[in-house]
Amino acid sequence: MLRYIAYRSLVALFLVWLVVSLVFLLLHLIPGDPAELLLSQGSLAADPAAVAALRERMGLNDPLWRQYLDHLGGVLTGDLGTSFRDGAPVAEQIALRLPRTLEVIGAATLLAALLGVPLGTYAAVRAGGKADGLLSLLSSIALSTPVFVVGSVAILIFAQKLQWLPAGGFVSFSEDPVQHLKLLILPASAVAISLWAVITRMTRATVIEVLERDYVRTARAKGLSRAPILRRHVVRNAMIPVLTITGLEMGTLIGGTVLVEFVFNWPGLSGYLVSAVDARDYPEVVGIVIVISMLFVFLNLAVDVVNALLDPRISLVKS
Amino acid sequence: MTNGLNRRHFLATSLAAGGLGFLGTRAALAQEGGTLRFALSAFPPNFEAWTSTGTAAGTIKLLMHRGLLSYGPDGMLRGELAESWETDAEGAWVFKLREAKWHDGSPVTAEDVAWTIAEVANPDNAAFRQGQLAMITAVETPDARTVRMVTEEPLAVLPGWFAHYHMPILKKGEPKDTQIGAGPFMLDAIDRGVSLSLKAFDGYYKEGLPKLAGIQAIVYADENLRVAALQAGDVDLAEYVPWQAMDQVETDSALKLDVVDGPFMYLTFNGSRAPFDNPLVRRAAAHAINRADIVAAAFFGRGGALEHLPIAEGSEFYNAEFANAWNYDPEKAKALLAEAGYPDGFDCTMLSTAQYGMHQSTAEVCQAYLSMIGINVTLDLPEWSSRVQKGNEGQYDLAIMGTTADNNDPDGLVSVVDGSLPNNFVRSFGMPTPEITALFARGRAAFDPAERQAIYRELEQVAIDTAPIVGLAWRAQGYGMKSNVNGFANLPGQLTFYSGITLEETFFG
Repeated sequence: MLRYIAYRSLVALFLVWLVVSLVFLLLHLIPGDPAELLLSQGSLAADPAAVAALRERMGLNDPLWRQYLDHLGGVLTGDLGTSFRDGAPVAEQIALRLPRTLEVIGAATLLAALLGVPLGTYAAVRAGGKADGLLSLLSSIALSTPVFVVGSVAILIFAQKLQWLPAGGFVSFSEDPVQHLKLLILPASAVAISLWAVITRMTRATVIEVLERDYVRTARAKGLSRAPILRRHVVRNAMIPVLTITGLEMGTLIGGTVLVEFVFNWPGLSGYLVSAVDARDYPEVVGIVIVISMLFVFLNLAVDVVNALLDPRISLVKS
Repeated sequence: MTNGLNRRHFLATSLAAGGLGFLGTRAALAQEGGTLRFALSAFPPNFEAWTSTGTAAGTIKLLMHRGLLSYGPDGMLRGELAESWETDAEGAWVFKLREAKWHDGSPVTAEDVAWTIAEVANPDNAAFRQGQLAMITAVETPDARTVRMVTEEPLAVLPGWFAHYHMPILKKGEPKDTQIGAGPFMLDAIDRGVSLSLKAFDGYYKEGLPKLAGIQAIVYADENLRVAALQAGDVDLAEYVPWQAMDQVETDSALKLDVVDGPFMYLTFNGSRAPFDNPLVRRAAAHAINRADIVAAAFFGRGGALEHLPIAEGSEFYNAEFANAWNYDPEKAKALLAEAGYPDGFDCTMLSTAQYGMHQSTAEVCQAYLSMIGINVTLDLPEWSSRVQKGNEGQYDLAIMGTTADNNDPDGLVSVVDGSLPNNFVRSFGMPTPEITALFARGRAAFDPAERQAIYRELEQVAIDTAPIVGLAWRAQGYGMKSNVNGFANLPGQLTFYSGITLEETFFG
């Protein structure tokens, strides 16, 4: 087992290196000069001498291979470098922003699961009925409505018209817990809507499948009432694929909440990545990509290992 | 069916009401003493005082720092750290400083000014005004409150350089991103990328100012959210109100809109190759485009046609005879094209960007109108960063550009029109303009208003004939604010982004 984990960790590290090198190369291939962009903000003509001096300061005049090696050397020693724009340490900024993105994803998943599992089960039990039809329609709408539309409509209703919630922004929990939670409600709900649809549909499908299993029929034959059968035998067994799909969706969201972060002004990691790409802030882009790819790769590894530990039928080591 | 309230309904309603109760009403939270909440469009990329870091950063600089001069709400130059300024017998500029203090309590001295000028001229500091301040050959400080600036030849426009928000005076020896300034507000807290808190400086040199106790600048990058935040009562003042939302802000009884025409859209050309190296072709393009459609499509009617150099109608340098010099006249455009040797038109590439709707819409309107005179335009719409580089490298035939001039003086147009400057995406590529360069130099050296007017009239005539750039549209620049915000003014014309200076006089009432 340990050998397997060590082997997979090495593969994971190789994958992270590959991703980082590709991103580094692509960033330098696409047009856009970080120094020029910084000094021409507001569409003003930058002084060429100033641009040249700034390029030198940023280390952009070194050959590409040296910039690459310097950066990689830094990464290996745990130093993700500093922002081209204001010299802020990249690792510190990521540590600040990653929890904010995870918070939105976590809150959205909780909300989606709390609503999706009971409603999906209900739809399965009443399969073919009116409620099932309505839920199916609602989940189709939820799945097909882009998150920025949901977000904009929510802002219009709850912030502009009803004035119940702030339109967007961020206040840290330690500074003002109530305001923090108020600001979390809309972005978390906007992300939750499509996740809810996925969970509801997945729950419905798997519950229907489990309902037809022999052990459910046996439980019924034993005279057990409906509620305990659903609770103990059906939903619990139906949850395995639902959990898998929820996990996958959460993983995708780590780098994919950019629209929500933009629409609600939530200063998370995705928005940080986009602004870094816009400014061609190479150290920031590479740093964020390292963190996101490591999260992905090592989450996969963790899932494989946990699966193997839980289910003896899954073998980690080839016989 | 009954309308009576049964037990189940009552419980459900009570639960819902209880659950929502903690949300409160936003209106109740709107007034919070003397702190103004200001929706900024972008977070300053850094706090380097002399670097061109954008207009949002410029507003923050106008809160923390002060230059020698500034512009008042009427658009006229006024003293800040300098209380008077004039040229002496040798043509040098002499600034007399007033009694002012830095945020650390120490006095602002002539030494600080001399040190600032030396630092700005140092290329390593990547200062916005580096090029201009290099023309100052010596800075003398005869006493602690007098600064004398010597230039090779007299420069009428020099005071204007010291009024720019990217040209504040810093305390001698401070780092260029220092938080110590002489402005009305002090930086209190920074949440990078999110917000900035500033509090009033009680040692500010203007009696009774600032009127606010503090300013909370919150970044809303999404223009729609900025308006939503204003309407929801999350903020008191918002910059860059998008054109499509201006009606909405104007008709909201709780809000008001302060809007001016200042920034402008224009065409730049690649003068290093055919066909746009030919002024006849450039003029043909100028006469081919109906500007009203640009104003309608890109700015929702909020702006105006620009058929001459971007000198505003209210300016003393405005030349009424050129008002419609590049008017929409497709027949004239075709004739000019034929005269240039392209009776059947030609194919070319127009550079713009898909990142900003106004740039793309302007490009699409121009493309449609140019096709009517036989110029078949292929649009190149990369994201902004790539567009900047392609513009700098001349990878285009003609391009859509939008900006503001340095100030309302015609000399503020140098960066846009003067072809002797190095290639840059804000001006045409590879297009020397020797006559215009010479006229700009004469204008800078002339002190007599009538003489300056004559020089710039001649300059505009040359520009109309040679079309180094072609004006397209003025665009409205608006600040939205709650009705109880007073004292804030959107400065006229090209000075709109200097408006942050009036936050020292802003108050609730």
